[in-house]
Amino acid sequence: MSSLRFATPDALLGWLKKLAAEYRVLAPRQEGPSVLFRPYAAADLDGVSDPAALLRRATASPKGAMAPHSETLVRFSATKDEQDPAKLNVGLDAPCQAEPTVLFGLRPCDARGFVVLDRPYTSGSFKDPYYAARREATIIVTQACPAAAPTCFCHWTGSHPADSEGSDLLFTAVDGGYVFEAVSDRGRALLESSGFADAGDRQAAVEEAHARAAGSLCPPSGLEDIPARVAARFTDSEFWIRHTAKCLSCGACTYLCPTCQCFTITDEGSPLEGRRLRSWDSCMSPQFTLETSGHNPRAEKFKRMRNRISHKFSYYPQSYDGAYSCVGCGRCVVSCPVSLDIRQVVADAVKGAPGVNSDAAPAPAAKPAKAKSAKKSSGKE
Amino acid sequence: MKIGVFVCHCGSNIEATVDTAAVAKMALGYPDVAFATDSMYTCSEPGQEGIVQAIREHGLDGVVVASCSPRMHEPTFRRTVERAGLNRYMFEMANIREHVSWIGKDREANTNKAAELVRLAVEKLRRDRPLHAKQFDVTKRVLVIGGGVAGIQAALDAAEGGVEVVMVERESTIGGKMAKLDKTFPTIDCSSCVLSPKMVDVAQNPNITLYAYAEVESISGFVGNFTVTIRRKATYVDWSLCTGCGSCTEKCPSRHTPDAFNEKVGETTAINIPFPQAIPKKAVINAEHCRKLKSGKCGVCAKVCPTGAIRYDMQDELVTEQVGAIIAATGYDFMDWTVLGEYGGGRLPDVVTSLQYERMMSASGPTGGHIHRPSDGREPKKVVFIQCVGSRDRSIDRPYCSGFCCMYTAKQAILTRDHIPDSQAFVFYMDIRAPGKMYDEFTRRAIEEYGVNYVRGRVSAIQPAMRPDGSMGYIVRGADTLLGQQVEVDADLVVLAVGIEGSRGAGHLAETLRISYDKYGFFMERHVKLAPVETNTAGVYLAGVCQGAKDIPASVAQGSAAAAKVLSLFSKPKLENDPQISVVDIKRCVGCGKCIRVCPYQAIKETVIRGETKAEVVETVCQGCGLCTATCPQGAIQVAHFTDNQILAEVNALCLS
Amino acid sequence: MSVLTGKELRIVGFLCNWCSYGGADTAGTARAAQPTDLRIIRVPCSGRVNPLFVLKALMHGADGVLVSGCHPRDCHYSSGNFYARRRLEMLKDFLPIVGIDPERFEYTWVSASEGQRWKEVVTSFTDRIHRLGPAPRWADIKPRYDLPFNQPEKLLEPIRPLGCGENPSLGELKQAIRDALAAKPGADGRKLEGVLGWKRGFDAVHAEPVFMQTPEDVDELVWGPFNVHNLANFLPQYKGRKIGVVVKGCDSKGLIELLAEDLIKRDDVVIFGMGCNGTVSESRIRARLPENAVIEAARGQGATLVVSASGQDFELPMKDLAQDKCRQCVKPNALVSDRFVGRPVTEPEAPADDRSGALRFLDDLTLEERMGFWKGQMERCIRCYACRSACPMCVCRDHCVSDSRDPQWLTQDDDVLQKMFFQLIHAQHLAGRCTGCGECQRACPMGIPVFALKQQFSRMIKNVFGYAAGMDPTATPPLLTYQVEEPNIKERELS
Repeated sequence: MSSLRFATPDALLGWLKKLAAEYRVLAPRQEGPSVLFRPYAAADLDGVSDPAALLRRATASPKGAMAPHSETLVRFSATKDEQDPAKLNVGLDAPCQAEPTVLFGLRPCDARGFVVLDRPYTSGSFKDPYYAARREATIIVTQACPAAAPTCFCHWTGSHPADSEGSDLLFTAVDGGYVFEAVSDRGRALLESSGFADAGDRQAAVEEAHARAAGSLCPPSGLEDIPARVAARFTDSEFWIRHTAKCLSCGACTYLCPTCQCFTITDEGSPLEGRRLRSWDSCMSPQFTLETSGHNPRAEKFKRMRNRISHKFSYYPQSYDGAYSCVGCGRCVVSCPVSLDIRQVVADAVKGAPGVNSDAAPAPAAKPAKAKSAKKSSGKE
Repeated sequence: MKIGVFVCHCGSNIEATVDTAAVAKMALGYPDVAFATDSMYTCSEPGQEGIVQAIREHGLDGVVVASCSPRMHEPTFRRTVERAGLNRYMFEMANIREHVSWIGKDREANTNKAAELVRLAVEKLRRDRPLHAKQFDVTKRVLVIGGGVAGIQAALDAAEGGVEVVMVERESTIGGKMAKLDKTFPTIDCSSCVLSPKMVDVAQNPNITLYAYAEVESISGFVGNFTVTIRRKATYVDWSLCTGCGSCTEKCPSRHTPDAFNEKVGETTAINIPFPQAIPKKAVINAEHCRKLKSGKCGVCAKVCPTGAIRYDMQDELVTEQVGAIIAATGYDFMDWTVLGEYGGGRLPDVVTSLQYERMMSASGPTGGHIHRPSDGREPKKVVFIQCVGSRDRSIDRPYCSGFCCMYTAKQAILTRDHIPDSQAFVFYMDIRAPGKMYDEFTRRAIEEYGVNYVRGRVSAIQPAMRPDGSMGYIVRGADTLLGQQVEVDADLVVLAVGIEGSRGAGHLAETLRISYDKYGFFMERHVKLAPVETNTAGVYLAGVCQGAKDIPASVAQGSAAAAKVLSLFSKPKLENDPQISVVDIKRCVGCGKCIRVCPYQAIKETVIRGETKAEVVETVCQGCGLCTATCPQGAIQVAHFTDNQILAEVNALCLS
Repeated sequence: MSVLTGKELRIVGFLCNWCSYGGADTAGTARAAQPTDLRIIRVPCSGRVNPLFVLKALMHGADGVLVSGCHPRDCHYSSGNFYARRRLEMLKDFLPIVGIDPERFEYTWVSASEGQRWKEVVTSFTDRIHRLGPAPRWADIKPRYDLPFNQPEKLLEPIRPLGCGENPSLGELKQAIRDALAAKPGADGRKLEGVLGWKRGFDAVHAEPVFMQTPEDVDELVWGPFNVHNLANFLPQYKGRKIGVVVKGCDSKGLIELLAEDLIKRDDVVIFGMGCNGTVSESRIRARLPENAVIEAARGQGATLVVSASGQDFELPMKDLAQDKCRQCVKPNALVSDRFVGRPVTEPEAPADDRSGALRFLDDLTLEERMGFWKGQMERCIRCYACRSACPMCVCRDHCVSDSRDPQWLTQDDDVLQKMFFQLIHAQHLAGRCTGCGECQRACPMGIPVFALKQQFSRMIKNVFGYAAGMDPTATPPLLTYQVEEPNIKERELS
């Protein structure tokens, strides 16, 4: 296939260096025992001899590239009126820091995470200009997973280790280098300017790599009617209490998750100079739903866990054509301090769920409508 | 919020080294400041009126005054803003005088610092909330610690005012130092004739409970409600039976007991009544010298006591009293003059203290009022008085004046000439301090009428010297700074006007009372000029020399003043707390009880709200120290006006920007 | 805020209203000339000074911080300064570990009458800060990202033999729990609701906490190197209910501390204990297997863990896998239990140098290097607060100050200083209370060595107060009490 290109490790590094002059290049970086998406300047890339260093499985998802941990929505500054110092003349400035970015080295599940985020952030009547601007400015260069980790379960969510959904470019490691495939128009444009050689006869090697990776996944879930059955568990408090007994109510799962999007808004600074911040929050946090009155509708952790699981596997699919708000990256399983396994909770919720009439349940789509999400992911809303 | 800032010139006190107009201008740039000005004397009538006007004209919600220490005028300005209709706690002060203008001359640095301190006050005020005092009951009883003339006066005035008084006296009789005096200046009237009737009044006043031979062990509580534990030391005599008849003292075989009342001039018996006019007139056994208590052999007093009052097995006893106020009147002691080598270091028998000399002159003293010098009992013909022994001497870290020595030395010189008409009296002095009514006239009388020789200068040595006639004398060497020459005076007896210090154990008592004291043991008044009777601890007052050197009339006056303070405190049906106290946010409190553990007042208790354990502050008990706030990990208990957010705002104002 | 005049440094003072603020007034009244740098914040009592205020100032730009209160025994509030003395002394000892020169902080006592002394204190402290110069700023420090002490060759040799073999007494333990669950209500009329233990996790090298209520639940109970979680953490949630818990030695310390602080009641808990042979760090197993290896099984053979992964057997010695805390553990047996099953494990002598690898590493760095180290480590913090959620001693639970606006210690800015300051809050709140279970660090998804901060406090607490948390249920944590005479705290003289 002529659209495939081949890059040797050196060619790949050279290309990234070139990109780094034009774009903010975000790629995985090892820090201590963890791997995070960090910006690489061309000079930083000089210190990288093997692209493998940029292809590690990231501990934290790359969602911060579009939805930063904390971002300034509005800056405000006020000057006092010369005549009446009690009066303030307030100036507002809504900065939207959307630099042209290449997000490199993420996995298909991570890229699909942005598709999940796109729906609430950019569809419907209320679009989030901050997210949308970053999404627009970011080119996503995804690597097909060489092998699944034991905690991977992308196939449970309708995906696979070489899924290109949400990506602009997808590349696969083969002997001697990497084979690139354009997924979107701007991915194609970028690839054409890369100067990479034609991939020649490496198609088979790519397919073999994809098949090998798919074969390394854990068995498929075999679960059906997940949204309806999870919804039907809502009133089964005993179920949720049992499955949440070991939960510590920390936010590790949600903060590492590529699809969790809860945030809080706070004002910092003084009345004369300040900023309104949007920062990550977690529905697992007891204070997330704390109301000013002191009442908390989700004071108990089982209610919070029920919300998290239900949101991912029931509410979100009901709002968005059956698509799950989970991409099966497994980070919440790997990093949970008490090894709480979301697969187990969903499977247990679904199996023998009380009072489900499968005929009456809304039919879940096996996979989200591809065309729609692809369109969104390319940012041409 | 609208804040007004008033930057005070304090005449030139602040303005001289701080550009107050510039500070006011900078203040106008701070958040929520809607009005800022500088003013000449903010605390003056027009100054305060300016604040009231500005509050009304500009609709201010709070006021910052940058001037002197809040310890000085915070109450003044709180009343001012209240007069203008604001809550009195919507007010903050920036101390730009004591902490800025008075400690540095760099006008630029001072102006900048003053502006920053105003910024801190503004940030704090922005987070102030109106507070309202709570009322609480008062125990209308007062504890008077010390039964000298100041304490006696305070007790009598308070008792006359209808307040119950608990008096605690360390010795077995009240009377204090004044009871030991022979005569008093400037009238040369008999000290005990003046004092004894007052002592009797104390004994007879039904409102006064006297614990003699007792000490304050511990104090807890706060103004209006103190709990005092008093240690009644073992006297080995059942005072309810003792009639003070003196049979025991007549028969006691242990006759070489040092006589404390007589300043160890002479000896007394192991069981003893200090002096005939003692109140209470009760016997006490000195356990260190009692044969029965030391060796078990004797028991004479028990045999002769007509009422069977002797109790060799008596133990100290603790009693508890509830009071609403405390007057400390613990007086003074002499500094240890024996460390001073130039006066013989305590080794020369005929070098005595003025108080010993007082006892030697007293008709009720060990010599019946006849002056005999200790070494050989001879009547001294040449008496040298040395003043400022351990006073006004920086070289030994005693920089202060002991106040009344000049006057009593003149008195003793006059009395010496009265007692021994053919005697000569010399006084070595530094300056004569005689500022009281008839005082200067009195010292002039000593010099002019009684021919007392005043030599201006310090004494460098006292040396014993055998005279040609074989009698023992002393050569007192010193400088006469007026003549500019060395002088030597031949003396039979030397009397030292020893400098005073806070009473023995004063520091410990101050700690018990939670008041400040200086390194000489004098208690710290709340304000050196404007609150000389009050202390930093509400409900604790000072009377007499425990606060600083003063003579008898001043001590009596302060005793009355302290009583007046107590009576005015008790004149209200209830007291109001300072509402700057801790408040629990029950939404945040997890009931871990750490605040309860550390509260010094047991002012926090556990309560159950909707099945959950929470902390609750007893509002009239909390004193607002904020220890709980610093301890609570959730920040759920916050001391009003010193909240975490207020202090953080101050830190941020200084550090972040 | 107006800028400082060129020669001044930023020095913040916290003065108690009654003594030291008055002493500063007295100095002013006496026109005692002083350097102008100091800015005084008035507080009611030195006991009001949360050490975190000092840290806040020092982390955010102060060059020096001075706290002054009434002399010991002379506190206006009788005991506030006694607490302050302990807390501030510990703070001073703590500062170097985060790279702050302890000379930049001082606390002292000045009475209202000591104007002259106040002048001397201010002058000498200001001189000292000027000698030290402006404090290094976090923004200017070069971050360091690596964790040298975590390298396989740098791990400390365990002070006792660690093992991962089958515990022969596990059956007995299970029976004991079954019996307890089946038992009739006790003297207090309450029946045991369940027992906290561990079962196999999502793969062979993970265990997970389980609340056992039925005999079938008990069948799943495991005991071994994967039982990493400190189950004492869950106990306060069950307050007022009668439940059981299985503990290792370290877990039992957490339990004892909860008892000491009255956060749980002894009558509410039935404690099952066994001797512990050490637990593993999952990431150390991972690091020794090929990437993406699928773990199929793991079995202990004495001191070797045999992991079958992707069809291959890997023999991994426990000494390469053990958690750092296990390497120096001297209390492997439950310190408190109602039922201790099996033979207690031999307890080793405490080593002469009981510092963790992290502390040894940090101790060898300069102050500036330490600051850079923490900057580099904390940059990757995602503020998930797993560290506090995993901490059995974090009593605030749902009311942590990290999220609150009143008080507001932290902003929501994505800023390494905010992240670091939370760790300082956590460490400060645990000073004298941390039992050393290390769960804060184990729970951290980003592998940040936050435990070292608590270890710093713990060793200082031990040095000064001879106290270790979690040993005695009747003890009071040292920062929640005081002694009038503190034999190991010397008076801080400044003049």
